[in-house]
Amino acid sequence: MTLLALIIMPLLAGLLVAFMPKQNAKVIAVIGTILPIAWFGYVLSLYQWNMRAVDQLDFSVEWFPALGLKLELGADNISMLLVALTLLLGPICVFASFTAITERVKTYYAWLLILQAAMTGVFLARDVILFYTFFEFTLVPMYVLINLFGSTNRKAAATKFFLYTFTGSVLTLAGVIYVAWYNAQHISADHAWTFSFAELRYAAQQMPFSHQVWVFWALMAGFAVKVPLFPLHTWLPLAHTEAPTAGSVILAGVLLKLGTYGIYRFALGFTPDAAIFYAPTIAVLSIIGILYGGLICWVQTDVKKLVAYSSVSHLGFCVLGLFAFNTIGLTGSILYMINHGLSTGALFLMIGMVYERYHTRDMNKLSGLAAKMPVWATFMVFFTMASVGLPGLNGFISEFMCLMGTFQAGDEWVGRSTVGGAAGGNLGPWYAFFAGIGMIITAIYLLFMLGKVVWGKPAGESHDSHGHEAHSNDHHGSLPADLSVREIGILLPLAALCLLLGLYPKPLLRVLEAPTQEMRAVYGRANDRLNELFPARSAAAQESEVPSSSTPVAPAQDLTANIPTTDDHATEGLK
Amino acid sequence: MFTTNPLNALLALTLADAGTVPASAALIPFLPLLGCILCGLCAIFKVKSKLPAYLSVACVGVAFLLTVQMFLATSGGSAGDHAAHGGAVVKAFDWIQFNWGIAKAGEPAKALIANFSFYIDPLTCLWMLFVSGLATLIALYASEYMSHDVGPGYCRFFAAFCLFVFSMACLVMGDNLLLLYLGWEGVGLCSYLLIGYFYKKPSAVAAAKKAFVMNRIGDLGLALGLMLTFVQFGTVEYAKLFPMVQTYLDHPGDAPYLVQLIPVLLTIGAFGKSAQLFLYVWLPDAMEGPTPVSALIHAATMVTAGVYLVARFMPIYAVSEWALPIVAWGGAITAFWAATIGMAQFDIKRIMAYSTVSQLGYMFAGLGVLGAAGAASHVFTHAFFKALLFLACGAVMHGFAGQLDLRKLSGLRRMQGWKVVSYTMLVGCLNLAGFPLITAGFWSKDMILADAFANQYAPIGWLLLLTAGMTAYYTFRVFFRVFCGPMLFEPGDELHSHDDHSHKEDHAHHSERGATHAATQFHPHPPGLAINAVLAILAVATFAAIPLFFIGEHHGWVGGMVHGSTAGATLHHAGDTHAHGTFLGQDPHKVMYYVSAVVGVIGIFIAWRLHLVGRTSAATAGADRLVPALGPIPKWAQGKWYVDELYHWLFYTPLRVLSHIFFTLDKFLVDGLVNLFGWLPRALGTSAQPMQDGELHGYASRMVQGVVLVLLIALVLVGIGGAR
Repeated sequence: MTLLALIIMPLLAGLLVAFMPKQNAKVIAVIGTILPIAWFGYVLSLYQWNMRAVDQLDFSVEWFPALGLKLELGADNISMLLVALTLLLGPICVFASFTAITERVKTYYAWLLILQAAMTGVFLARDVILFYTFFEFTLVPMYVLINLFGSTNRKAAATKFFLYTFTGSVLTLAGVIYVAWYNAQHISADHAWTFSFAELRYAAQQMPFSHQVWVFWALMAGFAVKVPLFPLHTWLPLAHTEAPTAGSVILAGVLLKLGTYGIYRFALGFTPDAAIFYAPTIAVLSIIGILYGGLICWVQTDVKKLVAYSSVSHLGFCVLGLFAFNTIGLTGSILYMINHGLSTGALFLMIGMVYERYHTRDMNKLSGLAAKMPVWATFMVFFTMASVGLPGLNGFISEFMCLMGTFQAGDEWVGRSTVGGAAGGNLGPWYAFFAGIGMIITAIYLLFMLGKVVWGKPAGESHDSHGHEAHSNDHHGSLPADLSVREIGILLPLAALCLLLGLYPKPLLRVLEAPTQEMRAVYGRANDRLNELFPARSAAAQESEVPSSSTPVAPAQDLTANIPTTDDHATEGLK
Repeated sequence: MFTTNPLNALLALTLADAGTVPASAALIPFLPLLGCILCGLCAIFKVKSKLPAYLSVACVGVAFLLTVQMFLATSGGSAGDHAAHGGAVVKAFDWIQFNWGIAKAGEPAKALIANFSFYIDPLTCLWMLFVSGLATLIALYASEYMSHDVGPGYCRFFAAFCLFVFSMACLVMGDNLLLLYLGWEGVGLCSYLLIGYFYKKPSAVAAAKKAFVMNRIGDLGLALGLMLTFVQFGTVEYAKLFPMVQTYLDHPGDAPYLVQLIPVLLTIGAFGKSAQLFLYVWLPDAMEGPTPVSALIHAATMVTAGVYLVARFMPIYAVSEWALPIVAWGGAITAFWAATIGMAQFDIKRIMAYSTVSQLGYMFAGLGVLGAAGAASHVFTHAFFKALLFLACGAVMHGFAGQLDLRKLSGLRRMQGWKVVSYTMLVGCLNLAGFPLITAGFWSKDMILADAFANQYAPIGWLLLLTAGMTAYYTFRVFFRVFCGPMLFEPGDELHSHDDHSHKEDHAHHSERGATHAATQFHPHPPGLAINAVLAILAVATFAAIPLFFIGEHHGWVGGMVHGSTAGATLHHAGDTHAHGTFLGQDPHKVMYYVSAVVGVIGIFIAWRLHLVGRTSAATAGADRLVPALGPIPKWAQGKWYVDELYHWLFYTPLRVLSHIFFTLDKFLVDGLVNLFGWLPRALGTSAQPMQDGELHGYASRMVQGVVLVLLIALVLVGIGGAR
């Protein structure tokens, strides 16, 4: 019940907003997002971080017994972190909308709160159908938010967003149902249907390789759209650009993470053999996304679109880290989900604040804001640097660990120590190198943005007067030239977290050790199975191994000799 | 960790143990950070005084005192006491700690550990001494230099300044590669913020961006080197890393080629940060920043970070077959290349910038030819005399309304109030030119040259010797043009180095002064006490550095420091395996003094002959008569060999075009396909619409058609199945 309350609270608040007078909407929205945070504090007091990847605080109610459907909730370390991110962004989005949203206030806050409930639900669901329900249900509030409160091209953006992600996730549903069917047919003792995560994961891992391949791609279809992975990303710039500020923040901060979370839970957890086999394919798509998305950022004129495309580039690192399958890569990737939510969410907030004042997002018209809005400019430089991946801020550790995991992925699995790439379905230094070029491109386009928007001569007099005109005609005339206390209050917690996670990530890293080590153990066994299945694969790996030199120290072997064959705790984690 | 191998003793330090390092050493980086926070608070509380400068001077100054304490504590009493480990490690707090596997009993921990802890050995002390010392002096200088900007800009400047010192301290003191990387990118950020200090100037913004991006290219190399180090050794902490490297050093040739690749990757990072080879073009542009920044960051400290990196990782470099030759040739070629450009420039600050690139080339060449002591000595002396030169140029620029063209300034030596600047400038120039005996720059440059010949890198030695002559020429070209000859000047077009202030009153003031320029009523305002005092201290320091070359048995005091650090391992390692080279049959260590002295004096003489003798105007000199004889070469050198244009044409434009192509593709092809998918069902629906004609017979006929179609398909399928 403790976990259920986290979902119920914003949901009830949302309904309350809908049925109460308009004046109360803001207050209820604030309470409806702050209260879950307080409750989360209580959840934390019950939760034990040091346990292995076993779900805690389980909650299970029969839902549709004939099909084995249950309302099943649970939390492990990864879910807890992502729920924390979702809860944190809740009140920030509400506060950020105070002056931006003045019409249809009730509709807006009601859907915002319902969206909050659905996103929390996704991370806590432990029944696949329940997960899918929440996953799909996030589309509806987001559709409404973009469609009613977005900018000029909002209708098309909302429709595309909805149809695109919906189409992808239908395939995911098919994959999941196939696994459930397989479980009922072949694995389950009494041929009973179930949709529980743990049981389906076990069943899926027992499937023959050829079945896993299909299930893998079906699962990836939905999540890859959501992430978004390279060729499936075109909904994102449109939706981000057209959405209201809070919508963009949630979209970048949490909704994209549903995709990577889904990949971690399902594509990686359910079908490890196929995931290893197709890791290079996915990794190449991720790297294309990193470079291609980054270069596209560089030629944008709309600053919001630039940040939107930067998500395509950034999430490439995240997926790459996942498909390294080692603890460092997986940890980096999960941290990336949180860090990207903080820094990119903050960038969207910053752009929203400027938009409210100047009513444009054109970088050629927004120039030299450092002179006009020094406080805003300071925050902007700070969050941009977090996004660039400057060490000492949050983005660095996750990006670096993703790359580091990728770099050593080849070695760790196949037992090679050559730079020659990754034969046999693994990544390696070359992947890290090409992804690393993304670090340079990130710097290029983000500094390009800073150079256009923050630095430079302040925009000319004519524009200035226009801005003032709009300012005075606007009924948000109460907005000061630089940031208001409310706006600083929104940004400060994000900035503090960016700094804290950059300088003291140790607790988060500690928390992620157990789950990622267990995932890695699964992959150790999957790799062995694949080597049995494709003898040529292991032979190639043996061949390319550099003859071990007669060095007195053999530090390199430390990393390679660690492929776990029988890890007891890992099997515990599975059942 | 160590066996009783004599080579181990070389790697071990003159440092006894962690107990001798005062715990306050861990405070050194955090004091400047405190300064940064205080400056930030000044900005929040809208302080409109010089308070931020004084806070910065205080914080950095205390950090300097603590550094001196650390140095005294580690060098005193423990000399010759070869401890069982490299440097002492002082931990501040845990940063990154991550167990990536479960180590079985007896195995080393499977963990990625990178703490905020500091590795203190003589190399650290050496670097921190001049970093914190110069930062204190330059903060003092900047308190006067930046005084026109008191207010938010002043706070911003000093906040970034302090942040820089913090980052630099992390870079130099960090006990692991990740903390070094933090400092590495941190100094890059501060460099970015300070180059772009005059953010309303498009050229400054562009230069800042260029510096950051070029550095990032190098950083990628460093990052990959870091990852490879971790993969190969399972750790990034120096205290664990260097003993493992030592085993490879003991058995040269055993190192797998991936280990040998590590230093090559690190070199890319070092070349980026220190503006070498292909990555030098950002440094001259970085002169857009305020002059104290150019002096501290882009001449004395940050740009030597690459040299530090190579010196620190000398054991790994020694393991590799290719890394040190790459470093040596990269440095030597850069030294020569930058000198050719420096000879043809007219902007005195740019000349100094190219001379920095050139001198950094010397340092790398020194490291590459196994002369780490000479390289470190040159870093040390260069830090002082180049800071001095920049600050003197800054004083000129400050006093003559931003005038930096040597064709528009002449005879400053005899002007009222410019004595200190002139004579300290002379001291700096003599050092840079390598004037014999009385300058520290002579002794340190000489060590590098001698090592190049002695360690059988004669081509590099000759190249560097030629460059030494060119350096002497272009240095004194500046001095004879600007400070000697007839008293003539033309003020620059700015009151200060930038034209538009954020303050309105300043703006009014400016335009008033601007009007007086036109009326040729301009009076250069000579520097005040803070600037003169700092210049004098630095000039004295360059002389004070000379006796240091005669202390101790290992190439002077600096050589002793290097010898006692990780950089020292190779000095002797190399000494064993390399035969002693000669300079024209003579022992280079004995004759190089005379040779380099002659070369330096010849360079100065040519400059005197061409730029001072018979010069009556500021704009022209005897050298101009020679220009036609050289064909297009002077013009090309003045155009910096068009490297910027080449890069623009080779990298910028294609990337930009590619980006536009990608964006277009994204809009029309990638998204177009998606839209096609969206459009297909609708199109099908629309085209099928006429069939829904609502007539019963129509439906019936189409039902028949449908059934026939299904049957046909079924037949075909069955047929295929049967055929199998």
